Amino acid sequence: MTDKTNDPVAMWQKMMGEMEKGFNSFANQAMSSPEFSQAVNRAGGVAAGAQKQLSELMEKYLVSMNLPSREQVTALAERLQSIEAQIGEMKSMLSQMAAGSGTAQGFDGTPRPPRTRRPLSDNGEQK
Amino acid sequence: MNAPTGLDFASIPERIQTEVQRAIQRSIKGVEYFSTSGPTLGSTPKDVLHSRGTMSLYHYRPMSDEIYRVPVLIVMATTNRGYILDLVPGQSFIEFLLKRGYDVYMLDWSAPRPEEKSLRMEDYVLDFIPDCVRRVQADSGETDVSVIGYCFGGVLSLLYGSIHKDGPMKNLICFTTPIDFREMKLFSNFSDRRYFDVDRLVDSVGNVPPEMILSSFEMLRPASRTVSQIQLWENIWNDEFVKSYRMFDRWATDTLPLAGEYFRTITKDLMWDNKLFNDTMSVGGRAAKLEDIKVPLLHAVAEHDHIVPYDAAKHLIAKVGSADKEEVMLKGGHVSLVAGANAVKRLWPKLDSWLGKRST
Repeated sequence: MTDKTNDPVAMWQKMMGEMEKGFNSFANQAMSSPEFSQAVNRAGGVAAGAQKQLSELMEKYLVSMNLPSREQVTALAERLQSIEAQIGEMKSMLSQMAAGSGTAQGFDGTPRPPRTRRPLSDNGEQK
Repeated sequence: MNAPTGLDFASIPERIQTEVQRAIQRSIKGVEYFSTSGPTLGSTPKDVLHSRGTMSLYHYRPMSDEIYRVPVLIVMATTNRGYILDLVPGQSFIEFLLKRGYDVYMLDWSAPRPEEKSLRMEDYVLDFIPDCVRRVQADSGETDVSVIGYCFGGVLSLLYGSIHKDGPMKNLICFTTPIDFREMKLFSNFSDRRYFDVDRLVDSVGNVPPEMILSSFEMLRPASRTVSQIQLWENIWNDEFVKSYRMFDRWATDTLPLAGEYFRTITKDLMWDNKLFNDTMSVGGRAAKLEDIKVPLLHAVAEHDHIVPYDAAKHLIAKVGSADKEEVMLKGGHVSLVAGANAVKRLWPKLDSWLGKRST
């Protein structure tokens, strides 16, 4: 059997693992400094500002192309969601009515199992 | 025969043959990798009980002839999708619970829309969770509900439980839940109040983009993504490895944006002022003190959690007012604690033995 200490594949995998740990540890140390926080947040602030400007520009472009605005698409989506929610409510009411009539049913119409389960005791039997 | 160096020369031809076969397999499977979409995740049969904006409440169809009296509501972290708990058959926490006789519901999140940027912590703690609890009660016909919160879902569940101290929560299980945010050292440094202008960010972008959330997670272990891609290439001949890689990679990169106002509160109240730990947290004007949680509580933490280090989670048990409480530390990381092959052997059986006797 191949000795792991001399198996080139195992050595390569071990080396990768060590490199990963070492780099992560080094990077974490560097990222713990206030200077890192300052630099990354400065860059993040610039990116956020640019993103906002870009989205405003896109909005104007869509309007000029006579395409539906985000608000219009969102309004449509909200109406659809509202219809979906009402269907959900109706299903829920039907399920509750079925439960009230003595047959607990799921959404798919199958009867629900009884809530009588007991945990297994140490010897594997229900308590 | 072994040489003095320990190298077994007799095995070299066999080894070369294996490596050549793997190299060929890598080329074939490599093409296959890019032309297929990977396993279907989150496929345990379920019904959408309610959906409102970013919030969805699922009910999973029972898989047992007899179920426990008390239903279970899982509260997912707001940064990620709930299918991490329902990967594929045999590696699904949800499926495990169903087969062990639990009636399972999940409060899952989708990306908040731009107009939902104004959702506040109050909306999550005083509206979404109570609304789902009421619906679980109505659907199951039971008053009591057990709650399981994963990561920040655990924080939301703690806030909910501390404010709704008269019930109906019967048991609370937290997975890798931070309460001392000073101890999340790198996140704390990224959001250093001297340099991080959260107001400017939220006012500029509305909802915090998922790329930013993902980057902040990946920065905790900056080399790991590259190394995992190298490992994928090395093991691409191994179907099980590739399946597992694809499941976790897809989930990890499927990060959700966070509602702007909600993110502002997390940053100011939790990251900056550490209010949950300092017992000064309030949500919508209502005090949220951990000592007010009196229900049985189980906290599962991971030994090698790089996202929520143990120091950030360890005080939970001491701070809650419950008489029946337990912390369990298991091998694994932030994700492998709850999902994957290790969770099947470690966390899930532990949870079942703890929760079963408290669910009748």
